[in-house]
Amino acid sequence: MIRYSLRRLTLLLVTLWLLTVFLFALNYFFPGDALTNMTGVRSADALHYQRLVAERNFDGSIFAQYLAFLSHFMTGDWGQSLTTQRDVFNELLPLFGATLELSLLAMILALVIGAPLGLYAAGQQRGTMDRVIMGVSLSAYSIPVFWLAQLFILFFAVKLGWTPISGQINPLFDIEVRSGAIIADILLSDSSYKSAALADAINHLWLPVIVLAIMPATMLMRITRNSMLDVLQQNFIRAARARGLSEARILLRHALPNAMQPVVRQLGLMFSVLMSNIIVTEVIFNWPGIGGWLVKSIYERDYPVMQGGLFAIAAIILLVNVAVELFHAWRYPQVRKELYAEH
Amino acid sequence: MSAILDIRNLSIELATDNGPVRVLDRFNLQLAEGEIHTLVGESGSGKSLLAKAILGFINPRWKITADRLWWRHYDLLALNASQRRIVTGRDMAMIFQDPSTYLDPNDKVGAQLRESIPVGDLSGIYLKRRADRQTRAERLLHRVGIKDTDDVMERYPHELSEGLAQKISIAMAIAHNPKLLIADEPTTAMEPNTRGQIYRLLAKLSGSQGMSILMITQDLTAVIPESQRISLIYCGQLMETGPTEEVMQKPYHPYTDAMLSMSLFNQETAPKTRLPTLSGAIPTLQHMPIGCRLGPRCPYARSACIHEPGLTKRGQVEFACFFPLREEDDHE
Repeated sequence: MIRYSLRRLTLLLVTLWLLTVFLFALNYFFPGDALTNMTGVRSADALHYQRLVAERNFDGSIFAQYLAFLSHFMTGDWGQSLTTQRDVFNELLPLFGATLELSLLAMILALVIGAPLGLYAAGQQRGTMDRVIMGVSLSAYSIPVFWLAQLFILFFAVKLGWTPISGQINPLFDIEVRSGAIIADILLSDSSYKSAALADAINHLWLPVIVLAIMPATMLMRITRNSMLDVLQQNFIRAARARGLSEARILLRHALPNAMQPVVRQLGLMFSVLMSNIIVTEVIFNWPGIGGWLVKSIYERDYPVMQGGLFAIAAIILLVNVAVELFHAWRYPQVRKELYAEH
Repeated sequence: MSAILDIRNLSIELATDNGPVRVLDRFNLQLAEGEIHTLVGESGSGKSLLAKAILGFINPRWKITADRLWWRHYDLLALNASQRRIVTGRDMAMIFQDPSTYLDPNDKVGAQLRESIPVGDLSGIYLKRRADRQTRAERLLHRVGIKDTDDVMERYPHELSEGLAQKISIAMAIAHNPKLLIADEPTTAMEPNTRGQIYRLLAKLSGSQGMSILMITQDLTAVIPESQRISLIYCGQLMETGPTEEVMQKPYHPYTDAMLSMSLFNQETAPKTRLPTLSGAIPTLQHMPIGCRLGPRCPYARSACIHEPGLTKRGQVEFACFFPLREEDDHE
């Protein structure tokens, strides 16, 4: 297990490093001056420019330039925005928090809805409810998220008026931004209207969370159902029945843990799908997260921001995937055998 | 002989696209207490289906009919599914080919073993009960010849050899002291050494616990000396049954004779000659011959063989053939 963890972590580091090489190279492919693209400083002042050239080793070789880029990047100097002149790294942190909050809530909701429904469908195999659940999940899976989000806004926010159309919280509450995750910020704040603010935040939250959760939830339903049906046909389940164990014990103790194994393995993949959906959703709901920020930067040709956003999203996807793989190998020891090919 | 398992004229029909197919045709089997009975048949002969029918692992699409399917004083066909599960769960156990697939891959061996000990056998309350469970699990492992119990109990099934996995499934099978153990090709794909260990273990269990064992195997080389009786089955029909010694030494039925001469322990074949085989192949389910199903492949078949031969009894042996290889007088 230690060897496997080390291998995964090495892979993670190597991938992150390759990502920095890619980001560095982008500065030269984007139109305009590479140094301006990198730092975000549009300086007419020759002296200032000379200082930047020296700082970034731009009079040296490409390797020296990369090393300078890397050292700046590692210390959190990700340049400044070309449009707002604000520091990319500091601007990114609260946006990252807002995105994480949204994605975690959506993931939890997907698990809470998807896994039990999949198990229920497996129990009713080929029954009416099985067909209904599988049919609905397939249709829901096929709906593109940008269209679904707009439909939901039109129906729940505009027509029924249950919820605000967009945003994270009513600005009247004036919550200080610390982590960016609105619920955490409200709980940390010293506002005298905490509960009212919390209610308002949740009112803003639930619609985007549902929109985001639908895709992973339908994936989960199908995977859980199929893997449960698969496990129930395995020999060890039949043997447990033959030994006269109770049905509840067979399902909870033997079928369920084994059925969740492929589900756990797919969680990383589901998170990647979720992250690509979150970009669209944030734009539509005007959510102050990294996705909306990234899309805006692309429209504005704001290259330093683009780099920061890309790196943050890619890094979180990688981190989650490695974490899921490590958890999977730790929880399901028999897969370790396959990993080492010790057959 | 008082049989604890009494099967008379058991037939199993499978519904296929081409109409029902009789995969087990009026099969007879009697098993006495503490007896080891070996059932020999090629793959597809219906021997595993027989085991499933006894244990009640029944697919609703199968049609099962029998004049008698009695276990001790229970008429198994008259019981409903849950009653039957109680009876078979209490009295019977089965071990299989590929034992490691019958263990939960995500659970430690010890936990699965402890789980298979019936709650009713334990004494004391919570903590004492747990300790009791543990000592009983250890004792079970000792009984199947595993000494290093602590190490084995901490392992996951993928860390076991097939022989060890089979010993553990035997330990789990005997946890509730069954009266009947069905062993379905328990040693296929095992090394000869491990195979011998498993057989000795089964013979010992039968001898010391009075446990009846129905041993299902593919060829006659796997028939162990402790086996008192033997039955040969071909395409769902009983060919010959009787005391092991007698059937193996002086077979009446051409099929038994062919199986004996095909077995590899028959050393009389000259080098570089073809090994003796029955001509033809096992018929497919849809194309079962009428009458004696061995007919088309039997070297002694005559026109009478298109009718099904009933069982003929000669002494202790019964066989289904119109033209036995020897008459009763040879036997005297």
